[in-house]
Amino acid sequence: MKKWICIICGHVYDEAKGMPESGIAPGTAFADLPEDWVCPECGSPKESFEPQDE
Amino acid sequence: MSHSPAAAASGRPEIDGAVFNPYAKDFIRDPHPAWQRLIRDFPLVWHKDLQMWLVNSHALCDEVLKDSRFTPNFRVWELAPPPKAEADKTDFDLAYEKGFFAVSTKDHLRLRRLTLPAFSRPVMAKIEAKIRDLVAECFDALGDAGRFDVYEAIASKLPVRAISRMVGVPTDREEFFHEFAVNIIKATRINISAREREAAVELTKPGFAYFKEQIAQRRTLPHPGEDFLGSLVGASDNGERLDDYEILSVVFALITAGSDTATDLHTFAIHGLLSNLKQYELLKRQPQLMENAIIELLRYGSFGKIPFFRFASEDIDFHGQTIRRGQAVGVNISCAWNDPAKYPDWNQLDLQRRLDGNLVFGAGAHFCIGTYLVRVQGGLMLSEFIRRYPEAELLDGTGELDYDYRHHNARRINRLVVRTNRVSLQQAA
Repeated sequence: MKKWICIICGHVYDEAKGMPESGIAPGTAFADLPEDWVCPECGSPKESFEPQDE
Repeated sequence: MSHSPAAAASGRPEIDGAVFNPYAKDFIRDPHPAWQRLIRDFPLVWHKDLQMWLVNSHALCDEVLKDSRFTPNFRVWELAPPPKAEADKTDFDLAYEKGFFAVSTKDHLRLRRLTLPAFSRPVMAKIEAKIRDLVAECFDALGDAGRFDVYEAIASKLPVRAISRMVGVPTDREEFFHEFAVNIIKATRINISAREREAAVELTKPGFAYFKEQIAQRRTLPHPGEDFLGSLVGASDNGERLDDYEILSVVFALITAGSDTATDLHTFAIHGLLSNLKQYELLKRQPQLMENAIIELLRYGSFGKIPFFRFASEDIDFHGQTIRRGQAVGVNISCAWNDPAKYPDWNQLDLQRRLDGNLVFGAGAHFCIGTYLVRVQGGLMLSEFIRRYPEAELLDGTGELDYDYRHHNARRINRLVVRTNRVSLQQAA
């Protein structure tokens, strides 16, 4: 399970946690998010996310 | 004056200052009638006096902000001054050209990637500690005052000093930095004359010289440091580094994003809370609401009077209109924050509001880079205010509120007097 960071606003998507409040179950891989998914913080597209170094 | 879209030759809907005049005193005191009309009747309209398109509804503002064809690069503007010869370019020009607003989408992502470490948690934690001290200093200076002017004591002091601490300016140079910040902001405004802009550019020179020297010093060190400036100097991505003007452009962006906004945040936040005492009580009881509260207070205050500027980088067909290449587009986000389609109870302050998809810090690629700074600063200030003045109220119910009607960008409150009620509390104890 990885974390992904939005390089525009710094929002972190944690695959382990998912986003249950938005219907994304814990354990959902970033790659499995819909292609039109956008950063919940700034609205940037998926391409704005990069793997976050621990 | 027309009160309906004029039958312009182009067929586009048009308004003038009779419908929306952001400089009018009545508007500054109460913008909502004009904004509600714009949202209802003119979601997308050409403003003849401002010579720009205005986008007013929440949905359309969201769309423009996320569409890279609408660039914030004012060099694209049809009325922009002609480009200068290389030899005539100032540090301001060179930093602007390398900055977030001017570079291509690809270079913008590279800049964001390289600057991300400077906004990382360890760097920000150090900055937060410095701002915490600064907030305490501002309140300590008030002593046991029975009343004080929030603008004078807090809002005019904290924001620029917070940025100066973030970028590592020593306290004895804060006034110097303040001047630099004011002129940086003025130099980017298209709603002042070209002459005023150039005068402001000229006045930024000492500030740029100072930061160039700081960067040069850091580059000579074995390690440039772990603070904000050091993180930028040391930033590396597959061997790529930020050059001097890119680093200057980040300081530039922080100033434009963080100083004006935070000044108004402080006055409007306190005004919002003390005008809605049930919400003030709620925040006292539930401090965990603070982050949401800051965003909602920004939305509720809606203090920006001038829209965000974007410029069409090509001819764009947009919701039935053709926006020509080079035309200015005013993204009227303060207006949009009060769109009943997004917020049915837009005129209520609700610190528990679901704010998903809000545009308070913009949206898309140019999402506000000063977000963290503004949120932290606002949160620390309000927490300290609540701790010290739990029974505060606006003096005479109004705070003797006054505005700086000539401010170039905001419905700036420049007087807001709070009765602290500290003495009565002490007497009661």
